Amino acid sequence: MKNSLKEERLRKQLTQVQLAELVSVSRQTIISIELNKYTPSVLLSLKLAKVLTKRVEDIFRLEEFD
Amino acid sequence: MKLLLPNRFKKTGAVIAPLGFAIWLLMQSGYISEMLTHIVGEPNSSTVILFRVVNAIIGTISFLSFLGGIYFVSFSREKIEDEMVQRTRLDSFQFAALVQIIFTIAGFLFMIIVGEPKDAGLMLFFILSILLFWLSFIGRFNYILHFKLR
Repeated sequence: MKNSLKEERLRKQLTQVQLAELVSVSRQTIISIELNKYTPSVLLSLKLAKVLTKRVEDIFRLEEFD
Repeated sequence: MKLLLPNRFKKTGAVIAPLGFAIWLLMQSGYISEMLTHIVGEPNSSTVILFRVVNAIIGTISFLSFLGGIYFVSFSREKIEDEMVQRTRLDSFQFAALVQIIFTIAGFLFMIIVGEPKDAGLMLFFILSILLFWLSFIGRFNYILHFKLR
């Protein structure tokens, strides 16, 4: 799965720490999601979408082999 | 998860586990008895009980410290407990279970081919099997969290 979390975060002018605090996770989790090393749960995805004022589908996209 | 200890226990466990294990190894290798020999002299009919009691106490306390330390390290919260940490913890438990099963199967096959170990060999095998589970869990959990996901 691919995501545009970093781009959306920068669009909102948020640091990784700020975004992490807004969705109640660690900065390490945000880093891991941005680097595609970790796939967030539905709950976290919805929280991220709400904070970034985007739809979940606009941030997270399935790849062909998913 | 309500079973987890506060994060401060992790550092305590990281200190007492290796310390307890090192002291237990020293006891097993006879170093404690050697030290007692320097203090009270060679064991005789009146002091042999002292040697046994001291070794038993030190051995028990040190091994329990080792086990307690492993418990503290394994069951302490991370500074920030979020879903990624919890998922990594679950994955690490699965990995540790797999490692233990493979070790147990390999051990039993070895015993079938070579023969059952003498004396306390079988007990040592089971103790190693249990320790391998917890050491695999601790190793994998910390590796994933502090190296792979950075």
